[in-house]
Amino acid sequence: MDNSQTVPTTFVKSKRKERTVVQIIGKMFLYLILLFGAIIFIFPFFWMISTSLMTLGETITRHLLPKVPQWDNYYQAWRQASFSKYFVNSVLITLGTLAGLLFTSILAGYAFGRIEFKGKDILFGVFLATMMIPESVTLIPNYLLIRGAIIPLPGKTWINSYWSLTIPFMANAFSIFLLKQFFAQVPKELWDAARIDGCDHLRFLVQVVLPISKAPVMTVMLFGFTASWNAFQWPLLVTTRDTWRPLMVGLYGFITEAGPNTHLLMAGAVITIIPILIMYFLTQKQFTQGIATTGLKG
Amino acid sequence: MTENTSTFGKKTGGDLHKLKIQEEITGYLFILPALIIILVFGIFPIGYSIYMSLFNWQVTKGPFVGDKNYLLIFGSWQNLLILLAGIAMIVGSFIIWNRAFASLAKGKQLAHLLAAIVLILGGVVFVTGWIQMYETGNSEFLNSLIVTVYYAIGTVPLEIIIGLILAYILYQDIVGKEIFRIIYFLPYITPSISTAVVFQIIFSSRETSFANRIIGFFGVDPLRWRFEAKPVLQLLGLKVSGLAGGPSLALISIIIYGIWSFIGYNTVIFLAGLGNIPKEIYEAAEIDGGSRWDQFRYITIPMISPVTFYLTLIAFIGTFKAFNHLYVMRTPSAGTSVLTTSLLIFDRFYKANQYSIATAQAIVLFLIILGLTLAQNKILGEHVFYG
Repeated sequence: MDNSQTVPTTFVKSKRKERTVVQIIGKMFLYLILLFGAIIFIFPFFWMISTSLMTLGETITRHLLPKVPQWDNYYQAWRQASFSKYFVNSVLITLGTLAGLLFTSILAGYAFGRIEFKGKDILFGVFLATMMIPESVTLIPNYLLIRGAIIPLPGKTWINSYWSLTIPFMANAFSIFLLKQFFAQVPKELWDAARIDGCDHLRFLVQVVLPISKAPVMTVMLFGFTASWNAFQWPLLVTTRDTWRPLMVGLYGFITEAGPNTHLLMAGAVITIIPILIMYFLTQKQFTQGIATTGLKG
Repeated sequence: MTENTSTFGKKTGGDLHKLKIQEEITGYLFILPALIIILVFGIFPIGYSIYMSLFNWQVTKGPFVGDKNYLLIFGSWQNLLILLAGIAMIVGSFIIWNRAFASLAKGKQLAHLLAAIVLILGGVVFVTGWIQMYETGNSEFLNSLIVTVYYAIGTVPLEIIIGLILAYILYQDIVGKEIFRIIYFLPYITPSISTAVVFQIIFSSRETSFANRIIGFFGVDPLRWRFEAKPVLQLLGLKVSGLAGGPSLALISIIIYGIWSFIGYNTVIFLAGLGNIPKEIYEAAEIDGGSRWDQFRYITIPMISPVTFYLTLIAFIGTFKAFNHLYVMRTPSAGTSVLTTSLLIFDRFYKANQYSIATAQAIVLFLIILGLTLAQNKILGEHVFYG
């Protein structure tokens, strides 16, 4: 990248007319690459769904599609493998985490973006630094903490409880950073006007800032939703009974339980991704935009 | 300090002071909920991990052992010092290459010569330290670092390159651009456990598994994929053993999953980055008769380099943190050939109950990530073109 600073002005000259034919072929070539990519990205999902509709025999002899779709597989996974219970757990955990996450990050994002207080920059830096810490480091002490081995907890232990599955994820630096960026851009004049009307920060936040911040709040929600729904390592650690397990841990447990019952395992996998797919298709524009802006600013 | 001082200019100094304090208290109150959670679950554990690593801590706390858990990793502090000296020399050689003797007439050649010598020496010192550490320290842990590096080298460059190519194509006038983007992003958004379970089946050792069907199409005999601990070079018939043989086929299977699941993220971010490059530059190049390739090479790549840098950093750190899909896709027969550091630490803790050994290893991993981040910021950051 030695000459990256300069854009060379001496390009090879080419004639306009020759280009059109070449351009069409070139374009077709591009579409081919894109299609090839799309097939590769879609294929495992296709494999997942088609296997989930097969009989046990068909999963071994293996063709692309089952002869007769076995919808009963879904019923079996849902009822017998207690995916219904895991599903309810995942929904409750995700909703609880989201509520807490929104509460903490909206307030903190507002404070970092719009209020002056001592040590603000240092605190914000510390928050950001936590994004770099691998889960391997925090996992063990957090586990002891949740077990009640470091400080006494109400109810003795939080193993197998909604507390341990939600509270640790109710704040993260990323969400705060995202909201701070947006809140800081709200014009100062709005705040000055509100202040003259006797508005304090909390009212200003709720009545003025939040209504115009739907986009970033949405982004935080979407990220929170997927992170919570897809979480695995921590829930695996802090749940020992089926009654508390979310979908991902349940699905993992099912790998060994299901043994050769690949078709049921795949039915379970489809069940776990449906909510994410629905959410993604409804909000995909918001989502990709959110990722792009945070990615570029980060 | 406060932005509203001007509005309340009439007020007395005392009132202002009161306002300012009020403002500060509001600020602290607002960050308090987030602060508590991040302090308790994000920052306190680091300190507590260090504390734990100084004890003989199985499920419960045992006697204080000082640096013993770290010595178990490194063998001796001397080994670590030699290794670090090697790294320092390698880093130093880069600095010499770029900066030394700039004032002398033949300074450049001299600097390059010196840098080469320092680099070679640094390499020798590093390898010496590593071998000593491997012999006297915890070879399992060091092994896991190599596996992690294999995993990083196998995934990151391909993810970046394919992501950039797809984004660049999508950035042209493409019909159905949105649909392609949605599809590419699917693997990133769907739960890794669920998709890894599918890859488990695709890369199973069955003759009818999809991976075996594909290679069978090209006339290759069925392979054992996720269950194959042998290095790929050995499978290709070369007589190399151990880590010199490259990653195992089992790790390659996991690498393929890693690439598959992460390309979409890079594509989306590259796409946004491409949108930020001013169109006028391309137009100017077109008037000058620059071909598509020239435009890509001399405009897109340099202009997009901050994004590339960011993505490389994120992906590299990500490989050291990666856990879920590795945990699902590994098999007992692949053994240590897929045991990355994050998996090893989890095993030491979850299966073997060796809490203090696991925390010591986690701290070392954390320091490595920290070092990599700083180094990448410094080295790559200087070569990035910020438009």
